[in-house]
Amino acid sequence: MILDEDQVLIKKILEGNRSSFEELMKKYNKKIFGFIFRMVREEETAVELTQDFFIKIYNVMAKYNFEYKFSTWAYRICYNLVIDHVRKNQTQVDSLDDESVSQKQMMASENFESEDGFSHLAREEMNQYVWKAVDCIPLKYRELILLRYLQGLKYDEIADFTGLPVGTVKNRIFKAKEILKTEIEKDGMFT
Amino acid sequence: MECLHEIKLLEYIDAELTSVETAMVRDHLIVCNACNETYQHYLKLESQLNLPLELEPPSIIERSVMEKLFPVLPTYSSVFALIAAGFLLLVTGIYIYFDFANNSIVQALQLTAGNTSNFLGSVISFISTVFSGVYTVFKILDRFINVIFQVNIGAEIIGFTVFVIFSLIGYSVFRFALKKLRSE
Repeated sequence: MILDEDQVLIKKILEGNRSSFEELMKKYNKKIFGFIFRMVREEETAVELTQDFFIKIYNVMAKYNFEYKFSTWAYRICYNLVIDHVRKNQTQVDSLDDESVSQKQMMASENFESEDGFSHLAREEMNQYVWKAVDCIPLKYRELILLRYLQGLKYDEIADFTGLPVGTVKNRIFKAKEILKTEIEKDGMFT
Repeated sequence: MECLHEIKLLEYIDAELTSVETAMVRDHLIVCNACNETYQHYLKLESQLNLPLELEPPSIIERSVMEKLFPVLPTYSSVFALIAAGFLLLVTGIYIYFDFANNSIVQALQLTAGNTSNFLGSVISFISTVFSGVYTVFKILDRFINVIFQVNIGAEIIGFTVFVIFSLIGYSVFRFALKKLRSE
């Protein structure tokens, strides 16, 4: 069996090599933290959950099946961890997803508008704007956008992760994009 | 001509349509400006979503995980060095506290050395000389401080302080030496 880069590291970790675990953590830290932070929208909680994730990964590593990609296995653990947290703290998340929280207000507070207006925003600023908008959409759409674009999963993999039918996953992602497009159009970002 | 449903455009971007549907959408986009504009907007959105804005995780994450998974235990060298330094400190403390003033240990050692003529006698004699020398040095130091600063610290306190400093130095040297030996 040919092992990929991650699997070689896992093999070393299982043999007791600590520095391989450090290497693995360095590789996934950004993606995992980014995903968790965008899900919970609170840095302190994101830091705690990211730590919990890596500790959990280390503790259950012996159960990893080398037939599957490590990243998919790890993302599933990460997703379950975050969803458990979100469910336990539903009130807090609901309040953040409340329609009354204006996306424009949140974006304005981040001072995204340049002197020339949105139409002349640099590519980087546009990117920031779009991802800030993602942060503001309701969780049921946001989680799917994050799984699709942050973790690079396919529709069927997302369906498998979330337990939703593939059709629902597609529809929600389309709906999320529709919301995002409408918001961006309203702000004249596409012109 | 009826405009395309937006979901069709998204499926077109995702390449989820059949070849016939794909051709229909492509043809429609050529003739319908409204749909073409919507399509361009979705394309732009798609390109931005495909470039996720990366967030820099705080460095505490990696450090904290490693500390929790692999707590740092004291090394053998530091434990040995600590025991050695502690023992030295204890013996010195007892000697200075109970025997410094009347110097009976030095006297006893000198007496023992005088009655022993072999190698052991020479060793005891050497130790008593060292003790006596150290004692004299501390007395001189105490006198010196007394004359210069008009403060009476006492040879015992000076002696103890010097031994504490020497023990700490000894601890560091011992630990360094053990580490060096282990790494070799």
